[in-house]
Amino acid sequence: MSKAIPDYLELESTILEALREDLGEGEFELLALTVYRFQATWNLPYARWCATRPPARTWQEIPAVPQSAFKRFVLSVAPEKVTTTFRTSGTTGEGHGVHPFIDVRLCAEAERRAWQMLALPRASLFVLTPSPADAPHSSLAHMMGVVAGSSGRFFVAADGRLEVGELGSALEEAIATGEPVGLLGTALSFLNLFGRIRARGLQLPPGSYAMETGGYKGSGREITKHDLYDMFGAFLGLAPQQVLNEYGMTELSSQFFARGLGTPHEAPPWLRAVVFDPETGREVADGEMGVLRLFDLANLGSCLAIETQDLAIRRGTAFELIGRDPGALPRGCSRQADERMQAP
Amino acid sequence: MTTAERARHLARAAQQFPLLGETTPEMLMGLVEAELGEAGVLDDFVPRGPRCIRAIAPPTILHIVSGNTPAAGLQSLIRGLLLGAHNLCKIPSGGLPELAQFQRVLPPALAGKIEIAPELPPDWLERAAAVIVYGSDATIAHFRAQTLPRQVFVGHGHRLSFGVIFDDPGHARIAAAVSDAVAFDQQGCLSPHVYYLRGEARAAAAKFAVEMQRAEDRDPRGPVPLSTSNAIRARREEAGFRAANGEPLAMWTSTGSTAWTVIYDETPGFPVSPLSRFLYVKPLPVDFIPEVAAVRAHLSCAGIWPPTLEHARTLAATGVSRICPIGAMQMPPWTWHPDGQPALANLVTWIDAEVLGGGANVFL
Repeated sequence: MSKAIPDYLELESTILEALREDLGEGEFELLALTVYRFQATWNLPYARWCATRPPARTWQEIPAVPQSAFKRFVLSVAPEKVTTTFRTSGTTGEGHGVHPFIDVRLCAEAERRAWQMLALPRASLFVLTPSPADAPHSSLAHMMGVVAGSSGRFFVAADGRLEVGELGSALEEAIATGEPVGLLGTALSFLNLFGRIRARGLQLPPGSYAMETGGYKGSGREITKHDLYDMFGAFLGLAPQQVLNEYGMTELSSQFFARGLGTPHEAPPWLRAVVFDPETGREVADGEMGVLRLFDLANLGSCLAIETQDLAIRRGTAFELIGRDPGALPRGCSRQADERMQAP
Repeated sequence: MTTAERARHLARAAQQFPLLGETTPEMLMGLVEAELGEAGVLDDFVPRGPRCIRAIAPPTILHIVSGNTPAAGLQSLIRGLLLGAHNLCKIPSGGLPELAQFQRVLPPALAGKIEIAPELPPDWLERAAAVIVYGSDATIAHFRAQTLPRQVFVGHGHRLSFGVIFDDPGHARIAAAVSDAVAFDQQGCLSPHVYYLRGEARAAAAKFAVEMQRAEDRDPRGPVPLSTSNAIRARREEAGFRAANGEPLAMWTSTGSTAWTVIYDETPGFPVSPLSRFLYVKPLPVDFIPEVAAVRAHLSCAGIWPPTLEHARTLAATGVSRICPIGAMQMPPWTWHPDGQPALANLVTWIDAEVLGGGANVFL
C-alpha cells in the first residue's frame, strides 16, 4: 500500500463531511492548506514544483498547477493506486490531459451535493451525453451519471449519435403527461438537437429546465450565449432563467453553475475561484477581467489548485465567465461530444 | 509619371519610416530590374531577344493587410505604387496608421493612387486586378475563395522564423540576435521564435536574458492584450513545472511582468513562441531537418551567424525562403522574395511586340 493512502483516506473522510453549504472561510482555509501540504508531500511532480516556491500561508497562495501539466505528468498522490482516469478531449493536436483518481467518492459526492444545492424542481432527467458506462473516461459523463441517478435517461449512444427519435418520443410523452423535464447536455449537443427539431414552439411542462455546458471553440459552430438561450425559448419554451450553465473541467472534481443570462458563476463552498492578472499574477479588482485560478477541496488525490487559461470578470467571490481565451488552443468537452455526434 | 520618378518619390517618403530600413531610388529601381529584367520596362517597350516587351502593371491592387507589423503592409503598398497601380488597402479594424501617414508624405499624384479603409467596401474585390492578402490561413482561404479567375491572388500566411548561431566567440552576436527578436515586439513574420546555438547554448541563453533586459530598459515592450499575457504566463508556468521535474530546461524572465522571457530547452522540436518578446534558445542538433519538419510549411527566415554561404547551404533544405545575417532579419533588402515568391513579377502581365526596331527579328 502506498504510504500516502492512510492519510488520503483520513483526509477524504474529513472533506466528505466538509462538502456542505455552511462550510466557512476558516474551515476551507484550514482544509485547503492541509490538502496542499499533503499533495506537496505525496504528489511528486507537484511536490518538486512546490519546492521551488515559497510555502503557502493562505489558500490563495497555494501554488496552482498549470492545466497543461495534466498532459505531461501523472498528478496523483499515489499513482500506483489510481483506479479511474478522466481524460480531456485533446483536440487539434493538443494532446490528452489525464486526471487520475484513487477513487471517485469525493468527486461523486461533490457533484451530488452541489446539484442538490441548486434546489432544482423534481423532474425527469434526459441527458444528451453518452452514459458513464459508454464513456468511462469522460468526467462530464460521470457527472451526468451522478446527477441523473438511476432514473436518468441517456440519449447519446456509445458511438456518439444523438438518438433523436427516442428523445423526441420521450419529450412528447412528457408534454402529454405534464411531467417536468430536466434536459442536460453540452451546448453543442443542444445545437444538434435544435437542428433536428422539425418545428419551433414545443412547450416543455412547467418546472422544466435545461443545463448546458462547454464551449464551441474549434468546432466551427459558434453562437453567442444569448442566441443559444433564445433557441431554448424558441424550441423548448424555456425562459433564460430556466437554463443553467455548468462550468467545469476534467481536471476538477467540482463545478460552477450560473442561471440565466448575465448572472455570475457561483461555486459550492468547497470550490473557490480567484480571477488574476496574468501580467502580475495578482488578483484583479472587482469588475475587472483576468484569468481563472481554481481551488477544489474535492481534488484530494491530484491537485487542489489549478491555473486555467479561461478568462472571466471578477464579481465579488463569483465570476462572469468569458470563456476560453481566443489565444489558447481549442479544447473542451463540448467539442469532444460534438465530434462524436458528427461522426458518420 | 515614370517608374524612375515614382521610385524617387517613394524613396523620399520611405526615409521618414525607419522601420523600412534604407530605401533609395536605386534600390527600388534595382527591384524593378531584378524582377522584370529592365528598369524601364513598365514605361515603354524594351528590346528582348527577337522582339520588344513591355510589362503592364495591374490597374488596381487590393492589399488585405494584417495588424502584426506595419512593415509588411507598407512594403506591399510601396511595391504596388512602384508598379504604378492604384492601391486599395484594407487595414485591420484596430487600425494601421502608418499607411495613412505614408500617404500624407507622398506627392498628390501618388497619394491619389491610395485608398484606405478599415472595413472592406463591397466593390473593392470586384475592382481589383490583383489581390494580396496577409493573415491567417483562414483569412487567406476566405479571400482566395472569393477571387475571380481574372484576378491574380497572392497569399502571405503566418510564418515562423528562427536563427542559428554556428560560431560566436564571446557571445558577441547575441545583442544583435535580441534586436532581431524584440523589433516590432516580435510580431513580424521575420521575427525569430528560437535561436539554435552550436556549443554552450545554456550559457548563451543566460546572455540572451541579459540582453533582453537591456532591450527592455532601452525600448520597453508595448502594451499587450490580456490574451498575450495569458499565453505567456501559461507557457512560463508550464516551463517552470517541467524544469522542477528535471526536464532539460531553464528559464529567465522579467520581474513582475511578462515583458520578456528566455527559455532554454533541449527538448527536440521547433518551439513556437507566444511572441511579444518570448524567446527560446536551444542547442543546435546535429541533424537539423527533423527539428523543423513539423513546421516546414510555415518557415520563413533563418538568421545565421557567421553569414557564410556554407552555413546557408546547411539550412537550404529546411524550407526557409530567406537566409540572412543575424542582426538583419527585420530589414530585408527591397529585392527579397517575400515568402519565396516574386515581389513584382507575379503581379504584371506582358505585351510581346514582334515589330521593326525590336531585336534581331527573324522575319526581316
